[in-house]
Amino acid sequence: MTASTPAKRFRDLGSKAVPYLLIAPVVIYYFFFWFRPVLVTLIKSFQTAAGAFTLQNYHMVLTDPDFLVALRNTAIIVLFSVTLEFLGALFLALLINRKFTGSTFFLFVAMIPMALPGVAVAAMWLTGLTAHGWINSLLYYLGILAEGAKIYWLAGSEWKLLGLIILIDAWQVIPSMMIILLAGLQNIPEETIEAGYVFGGNFITVLRKITMPLLGPTIQTAVILRLISAIQIWLIIVLLVGFSRMPVLVERIVYYYKEVPNLDISLQMASGYAIVVSFIVSMVALLYLKVSGAFGGKKEAAQ
Amino acid sequence: MATLTMQNVTKIFGRDVIAVKDFNLEVKEKEFLVLLGPSGCGKTTAMRMVAGLEEVTTGEIFIDDREVTELPPRKRNVSMIFQNYAVWPHMTVYDNIAFALKLKKLHKDEIDRRVKETAGMAKIEMLLERYPSQLSGGQQQRVAVARAIAVNPDIFLMDEPLSNLDAKLRVSMRTELKAIHDKAGSTTVFVTHDQSEAMSMADRIVIMKDGEVIQVGSPDDVYHRSGSIFVADFIGTPPTNFMDVKIQKESNGTHLVNTHLNLLLEPEMAKHLNGYDKNHIVLGIRPENIVLVGESDAALSASCLVSEPQGSHQVVAIQLDDNIVKVVAPPNPIIAPGTDVHLIFKQETLRFFDPDTTLAIND
Repeated sequence: MTASTPAKRFRDLGSKAVPYLLIAPVVIYYFFFWFRPVLVTLIKSFQTAAGAFTLQNYHMVLTDPDFLVALRNTAIIVLFSVTLEFLGALFLALLINRKFTGSTFFLFVAMIPMALPGVAVAAMWLTGLTAHGWINSLLYYLGILAEGAKIYWLAGSEWKLLGLIILIDAWQVIPSMMIILLAGLQNIPEETIEAGYVFGGNFITVLRKITMPLLGPTIQTAVILRLISAIQIWLIIVLLVGFSRMPVLVERIVYYYKEVPNLDISLQMASGYAIVVSFIVSMVALLYLKVSGAFGGKKEAAQ
Repeated sequence: MATLTMQNVTKIFGRDVIAVKDFNLEVKEKEFLVLLGPSGCGKTTAMRMVAGLEEVTTGEIFIDDREVTELPPRKRNVSMIFQNYAVWPHMTVYDNIAFALKLKKLHKDEIDRRVKETAGMAKIEMLLERYPSQLSGGQQQRVAVARAIAVNPDIFLMDEPLSNLDAKLRVSMRTELKAIHDKAGSTTVFVTHDQSEAMSMADRIVIMKDGEVIQVGSPDDVYHRSGSIFVADFIGTPPTNFMDVKIQKESNGTHLVNTHLNLLLEPEMAKHLNGYDKNHIVLGIRPENIVLVGESDAALSASCLVSEPQGSHQVVAIQLDDNIVKVVAPPNPIIAPGTDVHLIFKQETLRFFDPDTTLAIND
């Protein structure tokens, strides 16, 4: 260090502080609106109503008869809806990427569900799925349903209900996944694909051996984002069938926090569930990244 | 190896954009044919139709006697080298070359043998385990070449394969590609907009403009016997010089006349111009066919505008009215701007063009 005047030292300090000042708003925001609530929830999950340390909350959550049901329902929804969404989105993205006449308009139409807020989607399907809803009317109009006949969509077994929820979720989510995949497809140079066809590939082999591997990083991003948000599904279920009929993990948090907030154990259950769900989401994301080779480096990154 | 025939092939994009118009072509066995033309002339579209990457609007394409017009690319047995190499970044060099062979379900040993053999021809045998991102542009293009040879195609298609390489590498890759062509004995169609590339590689050049074939011929043909003003101007650096001249028949023979020039034609050349008396034509002459002489022998005198030394020669530019005429002259002495220069034309090399049709009169 060379000798320097106090004024110069102050200037140096000033220029070093600039980057920290610039990121300060974000850090402060995150501290108050993200870190603090998370911390409070974490602490609460280890406290009794009176504030003493306990593991009782976790014991209650994990032995709650609804917990296993919620876990099972969530797992089924995640598994089937993410698979369905991925396949549907990939199909649409490949289709739109062919740039046929009207593909831009088709893209616009396909994007509509993405623009609707979850509550609106739920309201729309709820009005459709009630006994006098527009779906039955449509089926009648098409001559599939006899006059006076009705399908009670929201009644019946929970498997039927699960199926419906998966379909509605897929309907809403496919566009956003498709956009990510489409962007990835458009980043693949056309000649790379054409070379596949010239050197002996048909549609399937080119898709399997060239398009999909090159799309790999994009698929990874799309699936991980979707996986995380699929585990957190709840709003659409509650709006369609109310609380407790089709328990899923996040629905349980909201249930204890909003629906029955005045029980002795409400806050403990809610915070316990919240931490358990966070843990599950993190583990699933980690597992997926591990399995899909994101930490690898075994293969050269594409491009 | 095989022949390629294109009969009355037309390609229309959308409703009315005619990319290729009534294209007829026969490529002989083992021939190195170059499609040459300015960008947007339809040369790449013509090639892509041969590959099957573009649908033919009307017309037929044959490889030998086999009609391939409606076949998908994989059933045509052609291979292609792309402008941007188009090697697959997620495969090693080995897998890139082996891709087509694996799809053909060849035996593993046979694949291995052919990959190594073609990698040797393309001089990349030491790079087989690498990924394309670890290679330079020139090396990637070699991978593309090896991949194309390995399938042992009927027709070799090359779509401006050298245009992404730097100038020096481009010239040396030319020589190598040509050598590989001769060794593999493949029938080749090569697309380029670079006339010197075309001249140096082609057995025959097809010159295209606006989707149509303008002239087909050996490099020698299109250079020395250009069939139109377009070809004479497009081929050669610097290109052909053009001057408007009037034909005047006088007692001692036929003269070409304009404000700078009064040239008495030799009878051998004059006979091409029967019927053009008193008409204007366009005179074309290549820069190397104009010779600097002493003042007393000159057919044309003017002052030098600028001279560009090129080492082996110099290019002297002369302003005649609005027209700049370029002359290829010996390298010494360098001619200073403003110096008077005196020129004669090598008469047997003159080209006469009809100003209305722009086609050559003397063929």
